[in-house]
This record gives sequence, C-alpha cells and structure tokens, in this order.
Amino acid sequence: MKRTLSRRSVLRGFLAGGVVTIGLPYLEVFGGLKRAHASPDGLPKRFGMFFWGNGVLPDRWVPAATGTAYALSPTLSVLAPSQPKISIVTGMKVPIVNQIPHMSGPIGFFTGSPPVTGKPDAFNAPTLDQVIASVVGVDSRFRSLEAAVQPGATGLSYNGANSQNPAEASPAALFARVFGPEFVKPGTTPPYNPTLDLRKSVLDGVAEDANSLKSILGATDKHRLDQHLDGVRALEQRIQRLKESPPNLAACTVPASPKDQYPDVAGRPPMSEISRAMVDILAMTLACDQTRVFSLWFSSPVNNTLFTGAPAGHHQLTHDEPSPQPEVAKILDQIMGELAYLLKAFDAIPEGDGTLLDHCAILATSDCNYGRQHTLDDFPIVIAGSCNGALKTGLHYRAPSPDNTSKVALTLARAMGLTLDSFGTAEGKVTSGLSAIEV
Amino acid sequence: MVPYRHSLRVALIVGATACYSGGPLDPPAPPVTTGPVGAAIASPSAAQRLTRVQYANAIRDLFGAEVVVPTALEPDIAGNGFEAVGAKSSTISARGVEQYETAGYSIGKQVAANPTLLARILTCTPTAPDDAACARIFVSALGPVVYRRPLADAEIASLSAIVTTAGTAFASFEKGVSYGIARMLQSPHFLYRPAAGEPDSDNPGKKRYTSYEIAARLSFFLWNSVPDAELLAAAKSNALDTYEHVSAQVERMLASPKARDGLRNFVKEWLRLGELDDLTKDSKLFTTFTSDLGPMAREETLRVFDSLVFEKDADIRDVMTTNQTFVTAKLASMYEIPAPSKTDFAPVDLPADGLRRGLLGHISILALYAHPTTSSATLRGKFVREKLLCTPIPLPPVNLSTGLPEATPDAPTLRARSLVHMGDPTCASCHRMMDPIGFGLEQFDGIGRLRSKENGTVIDPTGELDGAKFGGAASLGHAIHDDPRFAGCFARKLYQYATASEISDDEEATVSALAQRFALTGYKLKTLIAAVATSPAFRAYGDPK
Repeated sequence: MKRTLSRRSVLRGFLAGGVVTIGLPYLEVFGGLKRAHASPDGLPKRFGMFFWGNGVLPDRWVPAATGTAYALSPTLSVLAPSQPKISIVTGMKVPIVNQIPHMSGPIGFFTGSPPVTGKPDAFNAPTLDQVIASVVGVDSRFRSLEAAVQPGATGLSYNGANSQNPAEASPAALFARVFGPEFVKPGTTPPYNPTLDLRKSVLDGVAEDANSLKSILGATDKHRLDQHLDGVRALEQRIQRLKESPPNLAACTVPASPKDQYPDVAGRPPMSEISRAMVDILAMTLACDQTRVFSLWFSSPVNNTLFTGAPAGHHQLTHDEPSPQPEVAKILDQIMGELAYLLKAFDAIPEGDGTLLDHCAILATSDCNYGRQHTLDDFPIVIAGSCNGALKTGLHYRAPSPDNTSKVALTLARAMGLTLDSFGTAEGKVTSGLSAIEV
Repeated sequence: MVPYRHSLRVALIVGATACYSGGPLDPPAPPVTTGPVGAAIASPSAAQRLTRVQYANAIRDLFGAEVVVPTALEPDIAGNGFEAVGAKSSTISARGVEQYETAGYSIGKQVAANPTLLARILTCTPTAPDDAACARIFVSALGPVVYRRPLADAEIASLSAIVTTAGTAFASFEKGVSYGIARMLQSPHFLYRPAAGEPDSDNPGKKRYTSYEIAARLSFFLWNSVPDAELLAAAKSNALDTYEHVSAQVERMLASPKARDGLRNFVKEWLRLGELDDLTKDSKLFTTFTSDLGPMAREETLRVFDSLVFEKDADIRDVMTTNQTFVTAKLASMYEIPAPSKTDFAPVDLPADGLRRGLLGHISILALYAHPTTSSATLRGKFVREKLLCTPIPLPPVNLSTGLPEATPDAPTLRARSLVHMGDPTCASCHRMMDPIGFGLEQFDGIGRLRSKENGTVIDPTGELDGAKFGGAASLGHAIHDDPRFAGCFARKLYQYATASEISDDEEATVSALAQRFALTGYKLKTLIAAVATSPAFRAYGDPK
C-alpha cells in the first residue's frame, strides 16, 4: 500500500493549495510521509458530513446579500464565530426527480444519481463520503467513520445499492472502537502483539471462504460477497496500521471517555449532549489521523424527534405548525448550534500553521429545502473549512439560476485530492465543479 | 425466466384442454384440507445473511445459553417490511465485518474458558498445545454444525491449522480452540445461508435445493435459528425430499419450544415491534411514559400471540377481539385494572364492558403508531391498511403542503381538524383510506391510555371500514376480524416472511391457495405455518438473480 506522490500531483497540490513559498524542511517532511493525500504542509486533508433531517425554513435560511461582505441569516447566525471559515451556497438544485419526500434529496445530492429503478427510496450508487473514502481512506486506520446522534439513526452512508454503512449511535461504542485498548498513540512504537498475525491469518481464511462461495452463487450474491471481502480488506488494513508507528501528530490526545448511556430526559433524547460527545471523539479521531473521512448524522429524514422545548415531534411540526413555524425555527436553531459546536471544536485544535478545521472540507446539509413541502430547489448547503486552501471560505454564493448540486460534490471530492473527471450519472452528471468556491 | 414460465404454463393449460373429451364437468371437488398447497413456483434463491436475532439464537443453540452474545452487530435492514427480506439483499459494511470479528473472538474465548461448554464441543483430550489429531477431531465435529453442511477435506485442514497455530502461539490448545471458533463464526459459510442448489435428477437441466439447504430453510423459518442434530441427520440421509418427509419434520419442529421463538420473530417483524425500543414520548404530557414501556408493551403483544397459537391453538383472528392479555403491574395501571402480579407478566381478563379489546387495544400498537405528543388517526389507519389488510397506501405527493390545521373552537378534535384537511381533494384521496379507521381509536391517546375527551370535547369514535360501520375501537376490531382480507393478509405476510422475497405474479396463486387452506382449517396459525413450510413453492429452488 506504500505510495508516493507523483511530481505532477505535488505541483497540482501546491498550486491548488496556493502555497508557493514552501521551504525545503517541509519537503523533507513530505518525502518522509509514507502516505498520499496529504496537504502541501504535510498534514492530511479530511472530509466530513453533517446532516439533519426535515429541511429548513427558506425565509430564515438564505442570507440577504451575497459575496464576502454578507450578514448571516437568522438560522445561520449561530455560525458567526466561524463565518470567515465557512461558505454558504444557495440556489443549487438536486438533479433527480422528486419522487420520495425526504429521500430524493439525499439520494440525488450524495450520489448524483437516480435511485434504484422501481425503488425510489433506495440509494443506487456510493455516497460522496464513500467516493472520497475509497481513495483517501486507504491511508488511515479506519477508511471512514459514521456516527449518529438521534437514537436509533443509522445514517445515509452507502457503498452502492443495498450497501449501507450503518452509523454508530453510541458515543461509548465509537470511543471504544477508536480509542480502546488497540489504539496506538502517534509517535509511539506499539508493543509486539502476537494476536495481530493470527487475526490476519483468520481473515485470510475468511476471504478464501468468501471467494469459494462466490464461485457457486448468483450475480447478486457475488456482489454482496465482494462487499464482504471489501470489509475484510478494510479490517486487514486496520490490523496492519496497528503494527506501524503512526506519524507524530502534535495535537493528538486521547479524549475523555463519554458516558455509557445518554438516557432520555423527560421523554426527550439529549441531542445536544450526544452530539457534543460524538464531536469531541471525532475531533481527536481526526487529529490522531485514525480516519480522514467522517459523517455525523445528527437526525434522520422524517425524524419525529422530540427536541428540547418543542411541543411536538420535529417532522410533525414541519407539516402541522402554521407559518411562519416558530417552533420549527427553534429546532433548526438548536441543530445549527450543534454544527457551530463542531466547527468551534475543530477550529480549537492547532495543526501546522492553522487548525484542524483548516484541513477539513465539511459539507452540512439536510434532506430537502422547505420541510413542509419537501422541495429540492435552493438546497441548504454549508461548506466549512478550506481543505488546506483548496476551497474559498467566508462567502455566500448564490447560483444565478438553479444549478446542479453535483457540482458541489465534485468540487469537494477534487479539493480532497481526487482526480475525478465527473460526478454523478444521467441528469446528475457534471464534469466541472462549482468554480465560485474553488481556489 | 418469466416469459418461459408463462409459456410453459400456457402449454400445460392447452394440453389439458386438448384432453377434455366433452362429457359433463365433474362436480366441484370437496375442499382439500391436507396435502401440499400450491404449485412449485419458487421465488429467486439468495444467500440471506443471518439477522442479529438469528445470530444470537445460533450461538445459543451451537454453544449454550450461557454464552453472552455481543449485541453490537450490523443492524438489520428491512425490505418490504421484513428484516428477513432485507437479509437477502443487504450487504455488510466494513464496521459490520469488524463487529463479526469482535463477536467471534468474544464467543470463542467464553466457550474455551468454560469447561462445561468446552466439553460439549471438544470430545478428545489434547496431548499438546499443537495436537493436530485432536484439532482435526474438534473441527470435524463442530464445523458441520456451524456451517450446517458437511465440510470438505481442505476446509477441515484449513480450520485445524488455525487451531494448532494459535495453540502453539499461546502454548494452549484451548486458546487454539477459541481461535478455531472465532474463525468459523466469521466465515460467510456461517454468516450467510448460501443456496447454491444441486442438479435435480427428476427435472433435467433444473436445480433443487440440497437437503442441507432445505434443513436450513425450515429451521430459520420455524425456529429463527440453526438446524438441530435431528434435522441435520435427516438431511444427511436425504430424508427431506418429499412432502411427507418434510411434514414429519415440520410437525416435530412446531412442537419444540423453539417454534415460539420463530413465531415471536415473525410477529415482531410484521408489526414493526422492534421500533418500540426507540419509542419517544413527551413524559410531561404522558406522565406514565418510561423508557422500559416500549419493550414491555411489545412483550404483552408477543405473549398474546404465543398464547393464542401455542397454548390454545385458537382461531388467530381472535387476536383482534380477545379480552385476554398479559400485563405487568405498570401495564395494568395504564389499563386501569388491578395488577394480577406485582413482579412479572401475568394473564388477565380485561373488563367485559371495557373499550379495550384485542391487538388494537395494546399499548404497543397504540403508542408506536402515534406521534410523540399526540395520537395519529393517519398512522393508525395506515397500520391497519398496510399491516392487517395488506392494502398499500400510495406515498404522499411531494411539493405539497401537508399540514393539519390547528385546533380551533370550531374544530377542537383531531377528527374535526382532519375533516377540514380532507376538504382538499388531493389529500382526501389517500387520507380517507386511513383517517376514518384511525378515528375509531381516538379514545386512546398517543401512549394508549383511555380518554373520553379531547380539548374538552367528547370524542366521537364511530367510523366505517369499507362499508362495515363500527361504533368504536372494540367493534373496529370485530370488523377487521370478520374481514376476509385480514385472514388473507396473514397468509401473504407469512409466505413473504418465509420465502424472504417480493411476491411475484407467478406466486400469487400460492398465496391464494394458502389463504384458502387457512380458512378451511379454522384459521389456525400453526396449520398455516406448516402449510407454508411444506408448500412446493417454499421447497422449490428458484434461480438466483
């Protein structure tokens, strides 16, 4: 798996990153770095998603002015401390037929492709996080990590049809997975562990079994076993990483253990508390370079979560509350408050000359525009972090006429270093990104 | 495949007609109440992945109930409303593979460290940490049970090698055994139910399930777990090849306590009772709500089904009308009846003059099909339509404002507000299929407690179900009980659950025949289960997709 960067990609990275005055010491770091997809400053780039269900209130979402000197809208105002490091993109339209309320949006945006024929609520292609993870994920212990806040939520990360990557909804389980006994702190040498080689042998046998079954089963099952094999390889990669001494990342520390359980308070899930526990773990997971791709599924499409102070479930309110829906507005304020917490937490971790947030591209979005009507035009999009200089920040870009959300996806994938010619299929296919936010 | 089947069928019909000699038609045959139901038209075969419950049941049956099975496993994904169906198409994520690994080592370690458990699966006494002969004996005995089929020599060699390698590394044969177990439990041969079939000597060019595949189909359908030794022995001696052979096994299996696990799982998946684990209710409004209420309410419903099927062998439609149920002290207080037991579930008869009757009076259904702060005539009506009557409701149109008006002095109740809503013909086309049914349950609030008024106005619980008028919840239950679609829906749901497939047009005849047999045999669910398990369609191999 050892790979080196080609001269061409180095140059492109430098130019894209706008870093032209790099000195030799940096190059030495660069040459010593074993793994690809690093930024020009030698630190890895990370991609993340933050998703909530049930859309927004357009009147409270879209900022009045565009460009760099704009005032945040009421719903976005809580992001003010991070305003220089985020971009608001409005006027984009999800490029598929709006067949299923709350599902056509994420399917169209995250895959750029139509759903499974005859199953309009089924993803039929990998979601953006997995497209990116399939390239940048080979360099870290976990190819990607998915976490959910709403109890029971499983997220919307897919490797293709019927291939979900279910999100971890327990902070304790996520913590144990990343920072449990196996965790090797960057800069330290792991002690010899005889079980690692044995685990590898066992997995080799499991892979043999999967291959032998593939030879006797039908096409669908073959594909499913390929996915299983993919998981086996990811696990072998993880075991291999455990034997290595990871690069020394100065900001890496083991975060505090979360609580074992986050029980409902007066019948309401403590969404904020769970979200912050997840964010604290994810921030250090990235700082310790355990993964470079994450998604945080704050709440699911159609979720009827009873938010603090709300008189009814979220989804019910989006439909039944009379305009201008003040209770829905308060729920959206809470959700944006948690996005603000995430951005602040990431921005508090120093990395190189900047912060962890500066090395990220984070896409925050929902399942539709106006929750009451499930619209797919003027989709709510926040992009945070400059991906180490690959993305413009601090602006509100509004498409002059409805434009394809796949452009946003392509721009983010390219910012992460992928050399994609296009993103999406059919109506969703684009070959150029959203140049307004590209550096 | 379908055109071919059609043409074959047409050919058979034409052939039969050609033989008809023109004499008087035979009088209608008397109803058939025994023998195989339907034709051997199968759904496509596919390798179902074990669900979480099946994994746990398998570990219990393979190693013993003492083993603590890790619960952190890949979540099951429902397809057509059943996890069993989703298991045929869903794949496993990288995290899921990792969780299988963790679970495998945890179980292996527990078994190897417990002499009682170890003695059940290890029949030789190792002479050294790398005793190859003993490793071979161990693998040869356990492997076929875990993989549910005989092992090839190469498989035995490969598994034995893991046992001896790990045994050597840790200087402990038992450690080696724990690695051997972990290895088998991570194998797709265990985690999936592969169905490759074999050439069918009776139908050249066609395939049939192997006898081991039939054994697994029966055990996962009837027990939601792995085949036992007797079933595997029957498979080995090829004694699962005829209707009579299979019937004998099905009868035996339905008499086992494990059949109750099978029924519970079907009911749980069909009615979506798993979702009660994540029930959210505003406990300021619903002061009796606690986080254990959902699972407790589910247990009530499962016990009622269990009792009707396995204790009473009753007409299962009575589940809609019975006044018998099982409650804890908490459920009793919510039902406003004396608690029959302070500590556990106990049977109880609901008051004869009460409104609460049958399934539609259960807190499980009333709370699950409602909102966090209110009831929902729409969700409850949709439940009755889709789950009990098998009538699909079209999806709501997109780009449409779907809000209900606020309560006003003129429209103080949900019924009144919904009627305002239904003034819009676009909404009414679907909502009149659901809401009038749900109105019948409006005397139960969002958590299933009885109420007579909403916003100070007396609730009107009358309504009609496609022409059958009802005066409230209890008579709605009777209307469903008497509706032939309800019994037919049982047959459809059970067949779909058993075959784990979308029902093709070609299989509709089997579903109709099952429904007919169900009616002719007094609506006994056990009889229907047996009819499905022994049906030619369930036992026939369908080409994979």
